[in-house]
Amino acid sequence: MKSLEPEVPIFHRSKIDMKDFLEGKPLQHPLHPMLVHFPIGLFLLSFLLDFGSLLFPSVPDLVRDSFYAMLLGTITALLAAVPGFVDYTDIRSDHPGKRTATAHLLLNLMVVVIYGINLGVRSPSLADSKISSGPLILSLIGVGLLSASGYLGGKLVYDQGIAVGRHKRRMPTPQNTLRLTAPIAGADNIFVPVMAAQQLRERETLRVELDGQVLAIARIDNQFYAFQEFCTHRFGPLSEGRFDGFDVQCPWHNSCFDVRTGRVTQGPAKVDLKTLKMETREGKIGVLLQRHL
Amino acid sequence: MKRLLDILKGKWLRHPLHPILAHVPMAMWPGAFIFDLLSFCNIGGNAMVRLSFYAIAFGLAASLLAMPTGLVDWTGIKKEKPAWKIGLYHLALNVIVVTLFAINLGLRVPDFRNASIVPPVPLTLSILGTAILVVSAYLGGRMTYHYGISVARMSKDQWREIARAGGANLPPE
Repeated sequence: MKSLEPEVPIFHRSKIDMKDFLEGKPLQHPLHPMLVHFPIGLFLLSFLLDFGSLLFPSVPDLVRDSFYAMLLGTITALLAAVPGFVDYTDIRSDHPGKRTATAHLLLNLMVVVIYGINLGVRSPSLADSKISSGPLILSLIGVGLLSASGYLGGKLVYDQGIAVGRHKRRMPTPQNTLRLTAPIAGADNIFVPVMAAQQLRERETLRVELDGQVLAIARIDNQFYAFQEFCTHRFGPLSEGRFDGFDVQCPWHNSCFDVRTGRVTQGPAKVDLKTLKMETREGKIGVLLQRHL
Repeated sequence: MKRLLDILKGKWLRHPLHPILAHVPMAMWPGAFIFDLLSFCNIGGNAMVRLSFYAIAFGLAASLLAMPTGLVDWTGIKKEKPAWKIGLYHLALNVIVVTLFAINLGLRVPDFRNASIVPPVPLTLSILGTAILVVSAYLGGRMTYHYGISVARMSKDQWREIARAGGANLPPE
């Protein structure tokens, strides 16, 4: 029963791998959303200073100050890109947030390129008292694209739940959904083999779509359990949950369910999960599908 | 009243407002601290002293907007939840940070156009303010990324539809 001991928190382990580090697991907080404050704030400041130089030409050196704000903004943007890219690769390929994340990534690349050009264009005339129209327009475009991109980044977290609760999970999360079809013949208790389950390590999960029904399959203490993918509170992804004994914890709001029975063991969820029986037949692990005719 | 609360919660934008507005002070005040340090490296004449001043001022302006939106989000959390207490610490620390940077800004007003380095008292206030801000911001991040505050609040109908299509047991509407 060794596997049923509580998980060792990641920050107590001696060796932390690079991916875990860049995902902020040792800090129990994703890194990308921490770092993005700096480019967002600094690019906005630089834009305000540009504007200030037009409104108050008597105030000296606003153009120079704007340049330095933009320079620090660009440096911090490049820093934020690294954990951002790692976060991107960790999103399941068929997650609705993947497209949002791709748009966010492309917009951010454009923003960095535009600010790179902007820095180059304005660097010869830092002593001006008013910003000239070229760099000003670039700043306007930069701030516009940055706002759109920042909004999408917020959507990823607050609507799509990306990176929420990820630091609690120790094992990797499923990279895609396995689509399976049950044989047409037969009535009740159809056995559907899930070949990929064979390769699961302890506390690892599969996300499976079986005739439209979305399931998480987990291996715990050498047994396999199938239960509905969606938490019954706000429908968070249980295949990305954390396991504690036979409990799965939703990454979003920490509801817990016993994977053997589907029962709620900790709120906020109030409704039990749907569970399916798993069996081994002729050496194959599979789900028993109840078909109601 | 309810309309005002909905505006502060960001329903019109379909995105909570507090985490958006919090970006500005969160960038400006550690930024001001960095500019203070750079002023000792003699970069850009007194550009760093001025930038630091502008950064603190911009941060203060945005933090005044961030406060009511944060307060509204916090009052939406049930008192018995762990996130409520974290929110309370986050709030208290932020009040301290805002006060420190307001004093900091006031002390800089007479001299920021001419000084080539930041004097020791404002510098100390920047260090202190930034240190407390980092702790407070971490707690704010924990509320989102560990306790899921505001997560799937505005998208729950979409997720419900996805879960329903996926054959899940659902809570009553």
